[in-house]
Amino acid sequence: MQTEATLAQADVSDLDLVTRCQAGDTEAFDELVTRYRTRVFGMIYNMVHSEQDAWDLAQDSFLKAWKSIKRFRGRSSFYTWIYRIVMNVTIDWLRKKQVKGGGSEFDDSIQLKEVEPASKTVPKTEALPHEMMERSEIRARIDKAIAQLSPEQRAVILMKEIEEMQYHEIAEALGCSIGTVMSRLFYARKKLQNLLRDVYENI
Amino acid sequence: MKTFEEKWTAWLDGQLSGPELSEFEAALPDKAAAEAEKAEARKLGALLKRELSVSALTNEEFFSHQIRETIRESSVPSADREARRSAWWTIPRLLWTGTASLAVFLIFTIFVMRDKNPAEESQYLTQILNARVDPVVSPNATVSMFEVKQDRVTVLWTEGLQSLPADYAAK
Repeated sequence: MQTEATLAQADVSDLDLVTRCQAGDTEAFDELVTRYRTRVFGMIYNMVHSEQDAWDLAQDSFLKAWKSIKRFRGRSSFYTWIYRIVMNVTIDWLRKKQVKGGGSEFDDSIQLKEVEPASKTVPKTEALPHEMMERSEIRARIDKAIAQLSPEQRAVILMKEIEEMQYHEIAEALGCSIGTVMSRLFYARKKLQNLLRDVYENI
Repeated sequence: MKTFEEKWTAWLDGQLSGPELSEFEAALPDKAAAEAEKAEARKLGALLKRELSVSALTNEEFFSHQIRETIRESSVPSADREARRSAWWTIPRLLWTGTASLAVFLIFTIFVMRDKNPAEESQYLTQILNARVDPVVSPNATVSMFEVKQDRVTVLWTEGLQSLPADYAAK
């Protein structure tokens, strides 16, 4: 995937920027934000299904990263490190929301109604109205299916399938073992296959 | 020792190789069904990748701007923040100071005015001294002091003294 991160990587490495950040250089951090903001936002959005919440959580994640950047030792990539913060912030938020919501197991169906047809569910290339409608419906089905997974399962399946992260990177981002990642992936896939079989079989 | 779930996931993702792969595949009860499920998992992955990769962040620049502003705000030295707060609280503080000063002035005025009103006072100001004479020598003795302000005279009035010790003599 061609991202802002890959486009800018040729100039200065993440590690150089992190070193400058650790010396208090806010412009270097701004560059890191520019590199990862789209991916971070997209990841959170796919977990919470609300643009406003995703915006706030992404902001919160970057601010937490800035506050703790002096503790970054470079043992993993900055990308994995920021994902760990993102996952902590987002999973914690989802858990609190579940408690406040009082019960229904990750059922975000109310939020799904708020998805505007063809808002951010459609690529920026022009599409015909019926195609847009169809994709919007597919997106709504996927969001509804993902909403039925636990926060940890959502995180694992999205990091694997969308971000194409390795097991050990996911494990590091979630602070768990590789075995746990694989196990969660197994159950997440099974559940999504049951819920979305008719979607991917008919495309 | 990997669990079945772990091995299955690794197999789906093409992460099994060598003897581990052949051992796993040999243990599958229905290889055709497993291959079909593997194909399904790939279709699911492709669907997710295609549909969920397009969650674009709108207002990217504003997103960065908001982070910059928050960081800048939090990095302002505390003295500057205190100075800003002082400027902000000038008017309320002035109001409070003015009210407090007025209250002090009123209290002070009331006490002074009351002190200076001789009509309400008796001619004599009496102070009872706590000092007592020796109870062994004069058990029922009392000592009082009267001050006549007008004449600037102080009278020491004693009662019940049976004898006046030498060291009680007025100097």
